[in-house]
Amino acid sequence: MTAIQPSVASRPGLSDLLTGFGQDAAGDGPVITLGVPVADLEAAVRRIAAYPGARLADVFASAGSPAGDGNSARDGSPAGDGSPVTLRLVWGLDADHRYLITESLVEGDSYPSLSAIAPAAFAEECEIYEQFGIRPAGGRPLNRVALPPGAGPDWPRLGRAPAEPPRDVHAPHHVGGHAFEFPFGPVRQVAVESLYYGLVTSGEELVDLYLFTWHKHRGVEWRMRGMAPGEALFYVERTEGLGAVGNSWAFAAAVEAALGLEPPQQAMAARAIALELERLYNHAAATAALCQSTGLVIGQAAAEIALERLLRVNAAVFGHRYLFGVVDIGGTRADLDAAALRSDLPGAYAELERAADALLTTNSFLDRLEATGILTEEAARRLGLVGPVARATGLAADTRADHPARPYGEFPLAVAVADTGDVLARFRVMLTEAAESVRLIGEIGRTAAGPGLALPPGAGPGQPASSGLGWAESSRGEALAWVALDGSGRITRARLRPAAVRNWRGFDDACRSQNVFTDIPIIEASFWLTVAGTAR
Amino acid sequence: MPLWTLRGLRRGVVTTRYPARPDASAQLLPTPPAFRPEVLTPDLADRLVAVCPSRALARDGDMLVFYVGACTACGRCRAEAPEAAGASGEFELATTAREHLIKRIPLAGRPT
Amino acid sequence: MTGQGTTELTVQENAEELRRTVTRLFGRSLHIRTLDTGSCASCEQEIRLLAAPHYDLHRLGFFFTPAPRHADLLMVTGPMVRAFENAARKTYDAIPDPKIVVATGACALGGVYQPDPFTHGGVGETLPVDVWIPGCPPSPLALLQGLLVAVGRLADKVKDLDFTLNGTPQ
Repeated sequence: MTAIQPSVASRPGLSDLLTGFGQDAAGDGPVITLGVPVADLEAAVRRIAAYPGARLADVFASAGSPAGDGNSARDGSPAGDGSPVTLRLVWGLDADHRYLITESLVEGDSYPSLSAIAPAAFAEECEIYEQFGIRPAGGRPLNRVALPPGAGPDWPRLGRAPAEPPRDVHAPHHVGGHAFEFPFGPVRQVAVESLYYGLVTSGEELVDLYLFTWHKHRGVEWRMRGMAPGEALFYVERTEGLGAVGNSWAFAAAVEAALGLEPPQQAMAARAIALELERLYNHAAATAALCQSTGLVIGQAAAEIALERLLRVNAAVFGHRYLFGVVDIGGTRADLDAAALRSDLPGAYAELERAADALLTTNSFLDRLEATGILTEEAARRLGLVGPVARATGLAADTRADHPARPYGEFPLAVAVADTGDVLARFRVMLTEAAESVRLIGEIGRTAAGPGLALPPGAGPGQPASSGLGWAESSRGEALAWVALDGSGRITRARLRPAAVRNWRGFDDACRSQNVFTDIPIIEASFWLTVAGTAR
Repeated sequence: MPLWTLRGLRRGVVTTRYPARPDASAQLLPTPPAFRPEVLTPDLADRLVAVCPSRALARDGDMLVFYVGACTACGRCRAEAPEAAGASGEFELATTAREHLIKRIPLAGRPT
Repeated sequence: MTGQGTTELTVQENAEELRRTVTRLFGRSLHIRTLDTGSCASCEQEIRLLAAPHYDLHRLGFFFTPAPRHADLLMVTGPMVRAFENAARKTYDAIPDPKIVVATGACALGGVYQPDPFTHGGVGETLPVDVWIPGCPPSPLALLQGLLVAVGRLADKVKDLDFTLNGTPQ
């Protein structure tokens, strides 16, 4: 998101933090980028992790040095043995309304272990090993994430192949031989995405759970190299169709930050309306899934009526039930039908409200939700969770309030939080957010919305290479994107981090000690993630 | 659960009558393009082919070949050349033969 | 199709016979198993809505089943990610004959993703497809039409559409 806010005065703590890195002031922008020599990386991570309100939001690598000569070979050829890799850590300094990116050049095979200090980084360390062949020092075994078991050294990667293949197992289980481990999936119930669960059970109690998502990995980041941003946007939307607006906004904002583009006010208002509509229909769909998982068919039907009406609102207002084709680089693609929004949304939301009211007075339903799938606030912090899943534990992080971009900065938002961290808390957070979304749409909708600024054709030869970070609060939580563009405006590296990438790692914590047959579908519905959002 | 029963009865039936009757909500759906052959010059056809992100369009001599199966109704071709491509309005596109989805549209100036 | 005399008539007669058999076997009641080969999840959401009150596929005699052994029709979404092929084949093989394979959505039909090391770019190479349903995602109405075409209760309409705006058929 571009910065149009007057700069938030830097707190003394932030200046101290930055002075420690040899930088004097935070500057005005919402994103601070620091170079950190890899030898100093461990100390830097400790310092930042200890800073109040710091949250590790993403870790990713790129072939080449930080200056951005990224080896934009589109044919997937690896960068070559021994070539450098840039490791970037994206931190949300939520209390300071800033993002902090540290860039470190890794020239050998290894870098200091991050997950020892910030456990949230483990999954990314595994992913980086698969794609770039560099590993955290300390030799802890790394798991397979994206590439299938047959992926040899010639498999297309963003960098070079690892020296040894990653291993295939993964959740630590401490039952000493008295557990039954069985696979479930990837082909699961009807009309749900393919996903492999490794379930470790002791009787009916779930001891541990691990996921393999490589069955659906489509190599989107690999595919986007060399594309023009407009071309890439088509794939970003279809990475996770149920998060098309959130992910495409984050991506478009990253490109706009790299190119210094500022979309017009009306286009940002239209984006926000689309994002809130996306949040609304996802929360209605999650309600239907919760009812289905508890066997309350009539509640499911009521929620599905609301969901269908909300999807029709999307189609009437923006021309697509899932809001594909709304976000464009530089703004939005088409006009929204404000009259349809005013006439159709209240009735559609009223359906959801009625269904929710009935559900919240149905004790047999509430009994299934209460104290099920508990996540603690400590776990949410440790694992870097985002969205309603995190807010239901008491962690009040919402990108719309913490890193407000237009138009959110102008419309005060009540962040929905709960404190029990169970399924019921997540459900209540979603319902509160849905009400807030309707209110926001009403207020933002008063601003006339219109189509966006067209991207100037190419940045032109000789333009310096550039990079940018973008974000949006999708229905599942903070969606991030980072892009590096070459001199002609084509992508050398695109990093997509939908919220699902973060939140699936909380799923096994929430499922542990629950009933494997009855509770897991309920917990999965309350997370309302997608496999596509992580297997991208 | 009388609460739910009463609510359901009050809500009434929302089920579509499709296929016995057409469903009005179909009008909200995005649909693949339909083309105007009389304005489709080879150059215009090439621009449409280039702008399609799903490779649903191709040139074959004096024909524009449109594979409806690959179309996502994204509207980029219509935005590129609104004089040459508009909405078809068709959403009933299922077929038992893949070749029924491959349409050959003659370019302008093609001898009849 | 260019005329080929009696050979072509036999082919057409066979196709008609097949259609009648399909309608006889499946026209009144059909069980559907879905298969996600790498979709973005929006096709799955539209498929879930087939059982929702607005569409209610049950009134047409269609039912979902998680067990491939009980299924008559396999509804396949996604571009067939290569890492998924083994699971796809096993699911297909587990469905007893006679069965119908419906490729659903632009990804499955060869759009969106082109063939590359990650995906086949469509399901046609891996599974024998009987029915194609375009859309991104296909709406529940389009899915209903597709299922009815698959069992021979609705005619294939797209065959006669020429996708031109001048109104005169080719």
